[in-house]
Amino acid sequence: MRGLWPLAWSEFRLNLRDPMMVFWSLAFPALWLVFNAVIFSEPIPGSGYEGLNHASFLLPGGISLVILCASFIGVPITLTNYREKAVLKRLRVTPVKTATLALSFSISNVVFTVVGILVLLIIGRIFFDIQVLGSWVAFIGVIFLGMVTFLAIGSAIGSIAPSFRAANIIIWTIFTPMIMLSELFLPIAILPAWIQPIARAFPLTPINTILRDIVYGVPLDDLWRLGVLAGWIVIAGIITVRFFRWE
Amino acid sequence: MTVIVECEHVVKRYGDVIAVNDVSLSIEEGEVFGLVGPNGAGKTTLIEMIESLRIPDNGSIGVLGLNPVKEADELREKIGVQLQTTSIQPNIKVKEGIKLFAGLYRQPLANPEELLKTLSLEDKADSRFRKLSGGQKQRVAIALALVNDPAVLFFDELTTGLDPRARKNTWELVKDIKRQGKTIFLTTHYMEEAEELCDRVAVIDFGKIIALDTPENLIRDLGAESKVLFRVEGGDEAAAEFEGLAAVSRVEKIQDEVILYTTDGSATLQELVRFADKQGLRLGDIRTEFPDLDDVFLTLTGRELRE
Repeated sequence: MRGLWPLAWSEFRLNLRDPMMVFWSLAFPALWLVFNAVIFSEPIPGSGYEGLNHASFLLPGGISLVILCASFIGVPITLTNYREKAVLKRLRVTPVKTATLALSFSISNVVFTVVGILVLLIIGRIFFDIQVLGSWVAFIGVIFLGMVTFLAIGSAIGSIAPSFRAANIIIWTIFTPMIMLSELFLPIAILPAWIQPIARAFPLTPINTILRDIVYGVPLDDLWRLGVLAGWIVIAGIITVRFFRWE
Repeated sequence: MTVIVECEHVVKRYGDVIAVNDVSLSIEEGEVFGLVGPNGAGKTTLIEMIESLRIPDNGSIGVLGLNPVKEADELREKIGVQLQTTSIQPNIKVKEGIKLFAGLYRQPLANPEELLKTLSLEDKADSRFRKLSGGQKQRVAIALALVNDPAVLFFDELTTGLDPRARKNTWELVKDIKRQGKTIFLTTHYMEEAEELCDRVAVIDFGKIIALDTPENLIRDLGAESKVLFRVEGGDEAAAEFEGLAAVSRVEKIQDEVILYTTDGSATLQELVRFADKQGLRLGDIRTEFPDLDDVFLTLTGRELRE
């Protein structure tokens, strides 16, 4: 595992140096939370969530946005960019192991995501009195599972996308329906019945549903929905291994 | 002499195209070996097979006694590589990049940052890679190839796209590396570069090596004639007067310029000066044209190298 920490640290530092990564992963989710929490103070009627302010309702969506921006968008963008610029090829001709490289990029991505989530939590706590009634351990566990899922999906997109531009198209084609259908801010209960099963198949949906249940202290009888994530991790993992190219 | 790189009957196909066709060569310790040929001749495919980045379809390759297919990890510890598309993370600073790459090797240089000085990159240490000029990027590429103090280095089109001054600087760096006793395998499509740097040159065309020797021998074996060109100032000598000079095979006169075709340019030149002295002739615009590796390629293939 020689090179693991130097590579992870280097990637993390490069993420901080990239205005796009900083804006989308660190600033944008917090701005989104602030805008929504300022405009609406009460949860959307009919959502089935009551008892906390709207900022608390939005918190899982904000966390999802950080994960989406850092991993779902950030990973394929970085991967295709490094492939097109022959950075991957240059690293490959050093003795660094493929597993070390993959793990170091994952670590830097996870840490970067955690920073984004911390920004969100701090702003939410200070300015909007965000509360989490359920277990913090479960809360953190689900977030971690979400990060791993989208790291895998991001790697899969980066592996199948023939180019940087193609990666962008794939990302935004999926991104738009996903944020509408995955309970990011619209509860599934208010969507038309026919689209609800589709919405539940999106990898982001169980993350939001369960994080929100934890925020509201609802009993977690829905944990089986996390099986959807396992399915996505397996599919994305297979695609990555099958289609990853160094150049 | 120790053999550093050995290729035997190496073949690489891409679909119907044979990119490298039955190539055999061996490179000895301390040598600068050049692979010369036009774009698409198979240079990069061959060098990347030797670097363990591509797997040959046929034949065998040995580098420092290691098999690039089966012992790639060990090989990568010991070689230094500059790829044709040289790039590292665009936003990484030069100093950080060198440190990062040094950290990937089992036995890096004790002080890799000294490479900044060796390669005149000190004032660019804190610049981001993407902001560097072409020549500076290539110097970073050379620094990265040196961080593990490799016994053998591979340079793929090191000076392509550089302006003439940056190219000359890069040549000096390559010569410095050679003086440290390291073996260098380089590809180029500049014949003058091969002549300047290489102890031996392999000319490759359509995946096949069509000639392999020292640049001097390749040129000599052509049997091509040199030319000595000059004017006689204030005189109008007949061309025939110069026919008797040493090694001259024939003489031409175009307007007032006399052209001596010779098999030994130096001997002819020397005698020409003596002859002119004796006859009281004043010679002007003297120049010589020796055959070079470009002529070798033209003779071997019937094509110009850069068409």
